[in-house]
Amino acid sequence: MGWQGIIDSSGILFTGFVNTLTLSIATIILGTALGLVVGVLRAARIPALRAPLRIYLEVFRGSPLLVQMLFIYFGAAYLGLRGVETFIAALVALTLYEGALISEIFRAGIEAVPRGQREAARSIGLSRFQIERYVILPQTFTIVLPPLVGQYIGLVKDTALATAIGYFELVREGQAIIDRIGMPIEVFVVIAAIYFVICYPMSLVARRLEKRALHA
Amino acid sequence: MLAPWATTFSYAPAFLNALWLTTAMSVLAFLFAFILGVLGALARRSHFRLLRFIGAVYVEGIRNTPVLLQLFMIYFALPQAGIRFDAFQAGVAALAVNAGAYLTEIIRAGLQSVPRGQLEAARSIGLAPRDVFRSVVFPQALRSVYPPVINQFIQVILGSSLVSQIALPELTNTAQTINSQTLLTMHIFTVVLVLYLFLSNVTALVADLVGRRAFKPPLYPSGPRRRPGLLSRVGHMVRGS
Repeated sequence: MGWQGIIDSSGILFTGFVNTLTLSIATIILGTALGLVVGVLRAARIPALRAPLRIYLEVFRGSPLLVQMLFIYFGAAYLGLRGVETFIAALVALTLYEGALISEIFRAGIEAVPRGQREAARSIGLSRFQIERYVILPQTFTIVLPPLVGQYIGLVKDTALATAIGYFELVREGQAIIDRIGMPIEVFVVIAAIYFVICYPMSLVARRLEKRALHA
Repeated sequence: MLAPWATTFSYAPAFLNALWLTTAMSVLAFLFAFILGVLGALARRSHFRLLRFIGAVYVEGIRNTPVLLQLFMIYFALPQAGIRFDAFQAGVAALAVNAGAYLTEIIRAGLQSVPRGQLEAARSIGLAPRDVFRSVVFPQALRSVYPPVINQFIQVILGSSLVSQIALPELTNTAQTINSQTLLTMHIFTVVLVLYLFLSNVTALVADLVGRRAFKPPLYPSGPRRRPGLLSRVGHMVRGS
């Protein structure tokens, strides 16, 4: 059959692959940073931050990522921020959404550390920051890592939604190829295979970490 | 100041229609997904290697690719093979096939969570294999599976927004249409965001009330302190892990 057309389009596919990867990695970095900060602040139960963080969490977890992304993309234009690139809009939306989910992973991990650890750290005179940085967070690592990798798999797949605002990641490049050469089944199967090659090893890693965490 | 809101609310009938479409699609997709999940779990626990293999391919194939791609495959690619769905059917099919893979794993884990001793005890008092499943395994599995299954239903509702991309006028698509007509981005997307929050919270709340009544002893430990707040029941388990 006409696989030649797909081979000829491999340059476009590669661009899509690179764009998907760029968006994924940028979101992993920013989303994890945001999730870490929000998770630590929520676990610290600071009264003034309680309500705002809760609202952030419930809004971003209880509504679709696609709506958030469209809101941010069209909203930026509405507010007169001209020329907000699709990449930036997608990155902001993904970071806020994944950050909300990741913050819950960190919060659960922090709350799993026994209270005595924090009390002991305080009694030897560590500052609040030092307690989190050197006592609490290192102990959350094994608990947090498996669900975190699991979340990253979801994140990579979620970058596909950037198609909707016109960012040229894998799915959109796939549609562009289909517009030229047809053969939607073949093209989409190739794209599915690319996602699978990215995500399946991550699934295996997550499963392994989970087993190790259970034995620890 | 109020004029944009007046314009936004003049689209109330369109929003209500869209809300109905989103709800109908989600409920239908979830019902099919649950059937797929039960079949998938049985396949993955089957004595036949081939069935186990098919179950594994289904679960891994779906869980490691984006839903949007699955939706596009069903809507844009299957016609090439002579299988045609309209947008609503394609939406239901994609959401069902996707959630079915997650439900397969949830139900499989639920069946596995029933201790072996329960099976052995049931058998030793002379229950028939069918009764062992019906009166001992199933009720206990249902209990442990209930919260993640409800969470999956909420994920289906939120995921149904993707069907906007194949031009079905559900909530998200309606928002985009009205946005392009009025350019009242902030007002329109706020309304749609609130409608989704309403759907996901009402679902969580109703499921919680049902769960409290249906399971004995109650599903959640009672007492005011340990009861999860109204809002925190949404997305209780982190999705996809």
